[in-house]
Amino acid sequence: MINFTLFGREMKGSVKLLAVFAAVLTMYIACIIYLYDPETMEMLDSFTKAMPELMAAVGMTPGAASLLGFMISYLYGFIMLVIPMIFIIIRSISLVAKYVDRGSMVYLVSAPVKRSTIAITQVLSLICGIFILVLYGTVVEIVFAQALFPDQIVISELLSLNLGLFALHIFIGSVCFLCSCAFSDLKLASGFGAGIPILMYIFQMLANMGGSVENFKYLTFFTLFDPEGLVSNEPSALISALVLLIGSLILYAVSVAVFSKKDLHI
Amino acid sequence: MDAIRAENLKRDYGDGKGVFDVSFSVPQGEAFGFLGPNGAGKTTVIRHLMGFIRPKGGKCAVCGMDCWEKRELVQGKVGYIPGEISFFDDMTGGEFLKFIGKYRKIGSLSKQKELIDRFELDTKSKIKKMSKGTKQKVGIVSAFMADPEVLILDEPTGGLDPLMQSRFIDLVNEEKSAGKTIFLSSHMFEEVERTCDRIGIIRRGHLVAVDSVHELRKRHIRTYSVQLDSQEEASSFARDFGGSADGCTVKVSSKPSLEEIFMNYYGGEYHD
Repeated sequence: MINFTLFGREMKGSVKLLAVFAAVLTMYIACIIYLYDPETMEMLDSFTKAMPELMAAVGMTPGAASLLGFMISYLYGFIMLVIPMIFIIIRSISLVAKYVDRGSMVYLVSAPVKRSTIAITQVLSLICGIFILVLYGTVVEIVFAQALFPDQIVISELLSLNLGLFALHIFIGSVCFLCSCAFSDLKLASGFGAGIPILMYIFQMLANMGGSVENFKYLTFFTLFDPEGLVSNEPSALISALVLLIGSLILYAVSVAVFSKKDLHI
Repeated sequence: MDAIRAENLKRDYGDGKGVFDVSFSVPQGEAFGFLGPNGAGKTTVIRHLMGFIRPKGGKCAVCGMDCWEKRELVQGKVGYIPGEISFFDDMTGGEFLKFIGKYRKIGSLSKQKELIDRFELDTKSKIKKMSKGTKQKVGIVSAFMADPEVLILDEPTGGLDPLMQSRFIDLVNEEKSAGKTIFLSSHMFEEVERTCDRIGIIRRGHLVAVDSVHELRKRHIRTYSVQLDSQEEASSFARDFGGSADGCTVKVSSKPSLEEIFMNYYGGEYHD
């Protein structure tokens, strides 16, 4: 089902990128948690009151009373969405489309290894990368939160929040991976693979601004990630996360089938 | 059993490009040369044999197994040198060969070592910085190191210097005497002539001739009778031009190279 030699190579290929993005996450998480302070909160709240549309666009809503609420407002609207998303886009394109475009896919498919095995191995290495990044973010969050404000967050709430986040990123991964398998041309693969998630995120930003553009929330899968709902264990939020997971399973299965059946002009 | 067999293979890319009703078979232990200019359809046929693309019509098989349906079994029997070589740029030659060895689960690496020595391959340099010839050597080692039954070689000597080219020809001949089947695509007449038993000539997607090198030569040899003034002149003429003298008459034959034979099929349209 999977080829461990290839898996090892791909995980090695993710390491540098993971290190860079982990560093960015660390910096942001540390800064935001450090900023948590009733007084600064008042200041940020005044920002959100003065220019609500702009702040809402990047997911910052007023009235985050608890530390976790504060983190949701200032981390889960932008940093925790976009940083893993960039990692996912870069990796999914290089896992298949780049090999096909460069021609080095020849050496993977001219060996006695099934194409489905190759595709499943690549999916698994992508998911492992996402898992490592989200897990790392979770650990950093817990470490900084406990160090600066002991016992201010409930760990189980943070875990269910980040499991939902993991489901979202797995889904984004499946969209990008499908593009990587479907298009043999690197330009098309990266155009769609990066374009779709970025467009969805822009829709999400528009929807967050509220008013007449709020209906954009029906056009983006980011709506299925509901941080407040996940923290308070609302059934609708859990169902949304499940929908993301099932959707991603379907898209990964389609990707593997597409890659197995496609003509490779390499 | 035929090691390689193609029946009415068809793939139309439009504009006269593609392959059309290509049929041939290569028995086990034979070296088959596949000649044609760029764009004639050589690589398209090879992509079918490797199971990279599905035939739009007809079928092809290696060792009796369908090249598309059973491609991972076929690939277990085949060593392949692609026409355009591209490895993983981030690796050194040695790392890449090690990766392929593990990826294909090749048990013994003795053949790999022997090939690296034979082609004087520097395994320590990064693939990104390699010359075309060095990359070609890496491609040769990785195709032969698993000791496959069938070798599919797409213009394998591109970029090699004459010394390495002749070492490669020796290698192919050794593999042939070891009972391996070889399918060698080329526009280099010399390597095909020196290695192959039979030759197929492809033009604009159509296989225009399949014959043994000997037969192809025979068919295109022209014989002339030349009358000389004296017997002395006749004997020196015969000596200079490789003919046979009989009195004042000398019989000389043309010895066409494969290139000339090839040009006969293409005529003036060679550069189409």
